[in-house]
Amino acid sequence: MEQVTSSLAPPRASAPNKSGPASSSQSGAGSVTKRLGNELMTLMMSSSPGISAFPKTDSNLFDWIGTIEGASGTVYAGLTFRISIHFPPNYPYVAMAIKFETPCYHPNVDINTGSICLDILQDKWSAVYSVQTILISLQSLLGGAFSPILRQDFGELCLIFTEPNNASPLNNDAAAIWDNQEAFKVQLMRYYRPLKDDTA
Amino acid sequence: MATDALRAQVAAKWQESFARLNHNEPGIVGLLNFTQAWNIARECIRPRGLDEPDSFTQYDKSTFQASFELLNKSRRLPILLESLLEDMRKRFPVIKEEVDRYTLEYERTSDTSFILNLVFRLLKWYKKWLPMQELGATLHSAFVLSFQTHLFSVLTPTFVRGFKDLCASTLPSTDPRTNVPAPNVEMWQAFEILGLLDRYENIIASVGYEHIEAHVVAACSGRWSNPMLGQLRKWMTDKVVPWMLLMYARNATTADDARAMLQNVGSRFDFHMAKTLCDLRTKEIFDIIIDYPDSSGALQDLKECLHRVDQRASLVHTLRKANQKRLLHPGADTRLILTQYVATIKCLRVVDPPGVLLFKVADPIRRYLRERPDTIRCIVSNLVGDDDSGDSLVDESEPIQPLQQYELDDYLDSNWEPEPVDAGPDFRANKPSDVISTLVSIYDSRDLFVKELQLLLAQRLLAIIDDDTEKVEKERRNVEILKIRFGEAALQICEVMLKDMTDSKRIDGHVQSQKASIVHPIILSKQFWPMLEATEIVMPGQFRTLQDEYAKEFTAFKPDKKLRWLPHLGTVHLVLHLEDRIVEVDVPPLEAAFIELFSQQDVWTMDELIAKVGSSVDGTAALKALLTWVDLGVLKEQAENTFRLLEVAESAADGAREWRTVTKSVIELPSAPSIQQQQAEQMRVYWKFIEGMLTNLGSLSLDRIQAMLKLAPGYDQTIEQLGIFMEAARLEELVVVRDGMWKLTPK
Repeated sequence: MEQVTSSLAPPRASAPNKSGPASSSQSGAGSVTKRLGNELMTLMMSSSPGISAFPKTDSNLFDWIGTIEGASGTVYAGLTFRISIHFPPNYPYVAMAIKFETPCYHPNVDINTGSICLDILQDKWSAVYSVQTILISLQSLLGGAFSPILRQDFGELCLIFTEPNNASPLNNDAAAIWDNQEAFKVQLMRYYRPLKDDTA
Repeated sequence: MATDALRAQVAAKWQESFARLNHNEPGIVGLLNFTQAWNIARECIRPRGLDEPDSFTQYDKSTFQASFELLNKSRRLPILLESLLEDMRKRFPVIKEEVDRYTLEYERTSDTSFILNLVFRLLKWYKKWLPMQELGATLHSAFVLSFQTHLFSVLTPTFVRGFKDLCASTLPSTDPRTNVPAPNVEMWQAFEILGLLDRYENIIASVGYEHIEAHVVAACSGRWSNPMLGQLRKWMTDKVVPWMLLMYARNATTADDARAMLQNVGSRFDFHMAKTLCDLRTKEIFDIIIDYPDSSGALQDLKECLHRVDQRASLVHTLRKANQKRLLHPGADTRLILTQYVATIKCLRVVDPPGVLLFKVADPIRRYLRERPDTIRCIVSNLVGDDDSGDSLVDESEPIQPLQQYELDDYLDSNWEPEPVDAGPDFRANKPSDVISTLVSIYDSRDLFVKELQLLLAQRLLAIIDDDTEKVEKERRNVEILKIRFGEAALQICEVMLKDMTDSKRIDGHVQSQKASIVHPIILSKQFWPMLEATEIVMPGQFRTLQDEYAKEFTAFKPDKKLRWLPHLGTVHLVLHLEDRIVEVDVPPLEAAFIELFSQQDVWTMDELIAKVGSSVDGTAALKALLTWVDLGVLKEQAENTFRLLEVAESAADGAREWRTVTKSVIELPSAPSIQQQQAEQMRVYWKFIEGMLTNLGSLSLDRIQAMLKLAPGYDQTIEQLGIFMEAARLEELVVVRDGMWKLTPK
């Protein structure tokens, strides 16, 4: 880094007019954009392993793409899932819409559409949640194992998600063989597609 | 074969010629007379040996005239002239032989007197052979021309060299003690008569030039304090002009005449002198600049010379080359480069007020300085007048004025003048004229300076110990001065920092009045101070208690604020009561923390100590702190990294030391991270963003990355800088690039 920064002397030209996120997003969404910008900053600066998300384009902060790596020690370990996140204009009063783009074999995930059944994304949504917390929840949803951070910060959530919520399965087959982890892994790998590089 | 007509024609011609020679005398008496006259005339103008008697001695003058009269009447004079020249050609080997002998002699001895003698000898021959004036101008000039032609053809290059030496020997010596040799008028006359002056004019002039060059170099090299041009001109008038008179104004009868004759050649010599001086000063220019202002005389000379001689391009070229070779290399200190740059500005402003030369010379220096990482720091520390900086770049006398910016052309300026002819396309006539503005304008942005100023001020304020209000006042004065330069708004943060200093004192006064404490913190408004290196030392024992008590009082006084301690920036005055001695010392907090721990137990390992004060302390710092105590004889290193408290001083080797009086200050200037570090910090933030977008969006082009980085707050890098940054990341194997698309290195 040193040699880079030493040559970074002064900025030669003033940065071109910022076609900033605020200007191009929906009208009256200034505060939403601001919140999303803050969430992005927080997410970038926190180093939560295995989760990440970023806006699709610099002009629209309302559509993000995320990445979740399966937590180690779970059946999803070593697999990487891409998700899409869409924020409604009245975010954060209404939850964002999240879908798996990579086929995910999981009791609470629809294998075809990628929709997720997770109550904090529906009726239990609260404005204090953020992209980061949701992503962490999703990561733990996958393996049924919670990271210590989550346990500390979201004790309440822990109670809900210690196990995949088999009571409301979107994927009945998955729910049925959940207890047989080996069979489950076989099914999981049958559907799983590794990420391609050229997704941009 | 011959026709009658031809026969008749020849006969007529014959008759005519015969009649002409015979002068209508009876028989061939006329013809005989002619023969006699011819013989006399030939004899009379025949080239003779030097020892032969002159023709006058043999014949009466009237006899010649009669003979010539006769020949003239017969129109035979041209023939006579031809035969004379022919005779001369035949006799010339005698002269050639003489020339060869003398030049050989000269070549052997390099003694110019041989050449001089030769010239006189040649003159003798010339005079001997010269036909009498009475015989008419035609004959005379034909002779002179022919003689000179023959003479020049036999003069060898050796003679030319000798001739040059001879001329040079007539010049006044450059050594002022020896007298001017008496002018050898005869010699110059001889030169002229023999036509040597005209033929060798160039050589004589070059003798003069060389003489001037030698004198200028001898008189002016390395003497820069006074203008030399006046002295040189006087020298020319006194010494060179008399010499020039001998050859260039030899025919002058009056002083005015001489002046008119000398005017042309004189200005040529004067030009040459100016050129020589100019060349000399150009060669010396780098050292002249170093010596500025002691070398202002030389600069005046240079200025005048440049008016006379067009050497500006060569001056620029030489100075640029010298700078490249002697200044702009890694071995030169930035401060030195800046000093030289400022001197260059001042010097070239003397030489060339419009600043064209300066612009051309300064460009490489400025470009180089821009690449140096510590340029800004140097300039700024000079601005605030660092105590240890030696001499200041800025003249005390220069009035403090706001920084000047480039201005657009003022179309209403009635004093407008066109730009100088040799100005480049980028040249700006209305450049900032004061030194500081010029230095600041090295960078396009003034913000960098302001940032660096804040850093430096923070450092200096934190370095003040013992409530030294005088120093704070000094900083305040500095800031006020800088406000004039940079403007009020830019220095607002500095203002807050200064205010913090006074506020701290007030708050401290209040807290102390509530509950006396020996802790006297300086309370910084975090937002306004540069990021201070945060090594979190957890102070043990009594220090902790003191801090906590103080913090409680503070919170009571200002309920909405919270104290966050930066203990590593403070100093601690300690009095250690040991069994046999008392050690009194000012130390940094880490040292204090360690020694406090030694009051709990006598032996500690370094790792234990570090664990006690918080793991952010690194080994080197800890070792340094411990060694401070070892130096003071309070601790002893028992085994590696294990230290023991010496309750009783070890008297062995250094018993002579007097512990009771040890009062030593081991405080160092607290360091605030430099701009570079802060930039690196910022780049780390940007890297997180880049990492984030590449993780989620796959591979991206540089343009996309640049566009996406706008989402990062405060991103202000150009795409070129981003490119450099990404390249560096690639070298660290964080990213890979293919076909212009960047992506993270696959795990």
